[in-house]
Amino acid sequence: MNEGALTKKERMRIELAVKKINWELDGRVPRARRRQILNELRSNLTEAAQHVGAEQAVRQLGDLKALANSYLELYRSRFDARAGAFWAFIAYAAIQLLGFALFLAFRAGVAAGGAHGASYSFELWSGFGSGFGPFAGKVGADGNTFEVLIGSPAHILIVMLAFAIGSTYRGILARLTKPKEALP
Amino acid sequence: MPENGVHDSQLLKGVLSLALMRLLADRESYGYELVTRLHELGLTEVQDGSVYPALGRLERDGHVTSRLVASTSGAARKYYRLSAEGYAALKHIELAWQSLVGALDPMLSKPVPAKPKEALP
Repeated sequence: MNEGALTKKERMRIELAVKKINWELDGRVPRARRRQILNELRSNLTEAAQHVGAEQAVRQLGDLKALANSYLELYRSRFDARAGAFWAFIAYAAIQLLGFALFLAFRAGVAAGGAHGASYSFELWSGFGSGFGPFAGKVGADGNTFEVLIGSPAHILIVMLAFAIGSTYRGILARLTKPKEALP
Repeated sequence: MPENGVHDSQLLKGVLSLALMRLLADRESYGYELVTRLHELGLTEVQDGSVYPALGRLERDGHVTSRLVASTSGAARKYYRLSAEGYAALKHIELAWQSLVGALDPMLSKPVPAKPKEALP
């Protein structure tokens, strides 16, 4: 079998496997290194496909995620943008959940205190000035309309902090837990 | 090779680097070629996906060097060869392996008893 014998479907199958590996490495392995890995993988897969077919060639790789993890163990950069984005999102979602819970508690308090025709606003953690956030809201006079802060300087600060910690903690941990050189 | 022709995957993983270095000591090779050479030796359970990162590890540790060679089959092949440091490491690991086999062989060559003897009082 030669390169010409590979069908379009087979080439696509190879490319799909390469893309799956790329997806796992993207943002975690330096770009130049990632390109080298993918080129080598593509070359080997093409070669294998010419002997056993693309489907078998991909199957012989084993679990693609495990393969990507092996490459990650070898070449993971200190900065993991994807982990950073994940933790930034989690931090934002946690702030919003907590903010909404605080708002519900505040509204219940307003109702229990016998609200009259006015709107009530609250703001927690205003030590850096009004509007700093992240927890603030307003309950309408009828108790049915409300506002909750969804973006503030505090939101940005916390999300950036979560991104910074999330993208670097693994590298720092790896360095801290790196086994020491054996004594001669 | 065991009677059923199956090798323990953990054992294989442990000796994969040694096998790759030994093959590369014979001649320069690229990833898929090394896989086929291992399969020809009877190590058919070795998956391509464990060989490619193992080569990367050997390269990172300085035991092999690599170069790209244009191929008629499409993307350039990455050929690996053993470095001077790799030769030294291979000799060292081979000695360690022979020593380990020498120590284990007398014990493993005896038939396994049906059940262990009772401890002495």
